[in-house]
Amino acid sequence: MSFDETQADTPTVMVAPPQSERVVDVRGLDFFYGKNQALFNVDLPVARNQITALIGPSGCGKSTLLRTLNKIYDLYPGQRATGQILFNGENMLNPRDEVDASQMANAGGVPIKGDVARLRARIGMVFQRPTPFPMSIYDNIAFGVRLHQKASKAEMDEIVERSLTRAALWNEVKDKLHTSGLGLSGGQQQRLCVARGIAVEPEVLLLDEPASALDPMSTAKLEATLMELKDSFTIVIVTHNLQQAARISDYTGFMLLGKMVEFRPSSEAFIKPETEAMRDYVTGRYG
Amino acid sequence: MAEAHLAPAGETAPRMDNSRGVSRAGRNDAIFHGLCFSAAMVLLATLAGLLISLLIGGWPALSHFGLGFFTSSVWDPVADEYGAAGPIVGTLITAFMAMVMAVPLAIGIAVFLVEFCPRAIAHWVAVAVELLAGIPSIVYGMWGLFVLAPWFAENVQMPLLMTLDPESFWGKLFYGIPNGANIFTASLILALMVLPYIASVFRELLLSVPTHVREAAYGMGCTPFEVVSSIMIPYVRRGAIGAVMLGLGRALGETMAVTFIIGNSHEFPTSLFASGSTIASTIANEFAEATGMHSAALVALGLVLFVITFVVLAAARLLIGREKH
Repeated sequence: MSFDETQADTPTVMVAPPQSERVVDVRGLDFFYGKNQALFNVDLPVARNQITALIGPSGCGKSTLLRTLNKIYDLYPGQRATGQILFNGENMLNPRDEVDASQMANAGGVPIKGDVARLRARIGMVFQRPTPFPMSIYDNIAFGVRLHQKASKAEMDEIVERSLTRAALWNEVKDKLHTSGLGLSGGQQQRLCVARGIAVEPEVLLLDEPASALDPMSTAKLEATLMELKDSFTIVIVTHNLQQAARISDYTGFMLLGKMVEFRPSSEAFIKPETEAMRDYVTGRYG
Repeated sequence: MAEAHLAPAGETAPRMDNSRGVSRAGRNDAIFHGLCFSAAMVLLATLAGLLISLLIGGWPALSHFGLGFFTSSVWDPVADEYGAAGPIVGTLITAFMAMVMAVPLAIGIAVFLVEFCPRAIAHWVAVAVELLAGIPSIVYGMWGLFVLAPWFAENVQMPLLMTLDPESFWGKLFYGIPNGANIFTASLILALMVLPYIASVFRELLLSVPTHVREAAYGMGCTPFEVVSSIMIPYVRRGAIGAVMLGLGRALGETMAVTFIIGNSHEFPTSLFASGSTIASTIANEFAEATGMHSAALVALGLVLFVITFVVLAAARLLIGREKH
């Protein structure tokens, strides 16, 4: 790699959390939709129990980046990623890659090698549009739990109640747990999806513009929920809403044309963007 | 050109506000309304006319034999005695067995095409499946009689006849003249005929499951089997019931293919490999020579088939309707 390419490919500004705090650490990630490259040498350090926001204009690759983190792109032949996505120090993309011992020591749970379903249980995802499954509210949550563990009726009841409570939905649905999840309002459905996502106790929760289909009230509730959840989970959120990113996130990554342009603690990033591109975006020049 | 075009428009525009314009629009509306209404009425009238003529035509047989028409299995044109239990039961059994065979296969085909088959191939397989659905039934019937029946007689019926004790349960279940023309092979042909039809509807249904729901299921750590069985199939349950019922409707009424291979016996079927008949095959076989009471009995059979199909479709509606709540 020539000097010029290196210059062009590395983020202009990167103020990353210390390595010991990183749950997910993306390094030099390239992503391809068939022959089209969508991500170019992207780095994304995700700190434990923090909210990391990804912002940038449409088509900049932030959703693509998010979708690599739980390998949902695996469903589509022709989509592929190269580089490193370290999850607790283990590379999900090419498990044979050796990582230095200090990183491995950080690895807490079950080995993830090759087992995509297992990985996705540990890195959950909430999508842009609410995706309740065609079953009751109770079963929407119990379904995911049953996939990964055996629970008695009483345990399941408890898990369902706890998840719904944490997602700030319990009070609204406790009397109709056995009605269809499809009957809820959009905001409730989205919080149901959050409850479903956290019921399996993942380490990381990925959210792809979770509030874009919601009204302001529901959005506020969802944001409050996320702030609460931060204590237990690591959250990565893609959002078009800059205020939202500024309000709730600890770190913000600004992407442009498939590259990570600026990655910094949100407290600094929004007040004083260092790159011209991010300054333009934050001040609304990209619309 | 532009002026010529504009001039009449300028003339008509003000006219829109006066009463003449309104009444013209009102009149057009009324004509349109009337046309649509009469189109719908033509359909209803046809249906009613069909039902009434079946009732009138079949009444002599129904009133003469009473309930015996449905319970007796003696169908004897020589003695002018008609009991339709054989064809009625034959119709229900063959259609039911056909669905039992076809539905799981159709689900398998559809799931394979949507979930596992490479996109490029899946398209062509789907086209082939739809072509299969369009093959005229007489071709299936001919194939059944000339190819399937002899093969079945030699490779299935004969060995079973030789090895099973005729007095045992299995011996009785598989008893039959080894000519391959029986209720089971008829069901097999029916299953083959409805299979592509149901499979292609299932495929369309599965494709209609929103990508984000499917991704969410995978995103939870579901295996492909769990995604299909717990999310996608329940998601399209209503449509799937409808597809199965329409397939059943087709199997119930299928005439040509069944007539070829069912053996055309009016006996009440007592074993899986017994020759039998269906309502449709009986009508097709006998209407040409039927007169008097015989013809009335055939028309009454037609009425019974009409009612059975109606009940099946109504049941489908009920099932689908109930799913809404």
